[in-house]
Amino acid sequence: MGERMDANAQLIEHMMNPQNYGSIENADAQGIGKNPENGEKVLIHLKVKEEAGKPVIEDIKFQAIGCSTTVVAGSIITTEAKGVDFDRAEDIVAFTLGMLDRVPPEEAACSEMVAVALKAAMDVYIQRQIDPDYPVISYKIKNSCEIPEETGDKQ
Amino acid sequence: MHEVWLETMMAGFMSSGEKKEQLFDFAAIFFRHFTWLENELIEIGETYDYDRDMMSIQVEKLSDLLHRIIKKLGALDLQLAGSPDRELAHRISSDIRYITSVMMKMKDERVEAFSRALKYPGVVLSEEATKAFTRFLFEESYKEYELILIYNYLKAHSDDAYLNRIFQILIDESQFHFKSFGNMMAKMGILSVPRIVMRELYQVEDVVQFLKDGIEEELAAKEECRALSEAVGKDSAELAAFFDFINMQEDYHITLMKDALAHYTKKETDV
Repeated sequence: MGERMDANAQLIEHMMNPQNYGSIENADAQGIGKNPENGEKVLIHLKVKEEAGKPVIEDIKFQAIGCSTTVVAGSIITTEAKGVDFDRAEDIVAFTLGMLDRVPPEEAACSEMVAVALKAAMDVYIQRQIDPDYPVISYKIKNSCEIPEETGDKQ
Repeated sequence: MHEVWLETMMAGFMSSGEKKEQLFDFAAIFFRHFTWLENELIEIGETYDYDRDMMSIQVEKLSDLLHRIIKKLGALDLQLAGSPDRELAHRISSDIRYITSVMMKMKDERVEAFSRALKYPGVVLSEEATKAFTRFLFEESYKEYELILIYNYLKAHSDDAYLNRIFQILIDESQFHFKSFGNMMAKMGILSVPRIVMRELYQVEDVVQFLKDGIEEELAAKEECRALSEAVGKDSAELAAFFDFINMQEDYHITLMKDALAHYTKKETDV
């Protein structure tokens, strides 16, 4: 009960004060995670610095067309990703995508949207080291926001 | 002016004294200033958007927020000195001076709107009903704010009187809902500023598709209200009745949006 209340309190905190919401002027890269079913999407902006030959997320912001669950997911994942290098950020993406089958469908879709948007932004950054005009990548999510009537394909 | 309108609304939500309605009246005046200034920008061909900074409004005393609003109004008043429409600038400056003087004299209050109490006065809600209610308030307060901006932007860029009548009613309806939900959030101790609306949402490229999607969303909102009424109904007949009322209000929106859709479709066919 105590843990459940703590989790609930944390959710309220992220809903009241979403962290890293907004955009970054002169961002180094942006990426989009999109739900093709309903047009909801997450846009991630990255400011990146190179440290010991590794790209590190100096600043990260997100914007969302979606529900409050998407905003909570964006707030949590961007907080985790801020200040870490790309290897660690890839781990965060993999961890998020790996736990999607253990959460309700609507939450899974929201978290996946943020995770793939982060992945897209990192991929854009890497591509822009070769081609500075590389366009923004948009990855579609595979989880459905709807409660499935039968088990569908995953990823 | 966008931020000042929103912050004054927030001050109204936080206040529980007699100045509450006065703050809402001032917010309504600021919203009209916002549209006046928007029209001026359109007339002179200046590009603009509704972007704003993230706002932190969590204060312990109402005066903390009022002082911030007064400071912003002072800065706006200075900016107006450079406005090409001298008459408009004079009118707004006059409002700013009066409202500032009233705000300065407002009796201070301790703010309870951020207590995270998750309790609605006079009602004992189950854990499940509290969760549903809380989620609904966050979701719908943002949605109403988003709709205010979308309809306001559409109205600013339309010279069709028939459509503008519809947009104005929809703005007024969303203002009422936004006010209702904001007051409820303050009572629950979870007041927060809606997040920034992305440009592509209000700078609508395909109005017909927007209206079609909007009708679907209104139907979904009716279902949300019905479900919430059911969830809180066991604990509070008063709250259930309120959400039934909001549910039925969505029917106005659907009718208005269908009218606007028919009008747009007819216009496109005529062309």
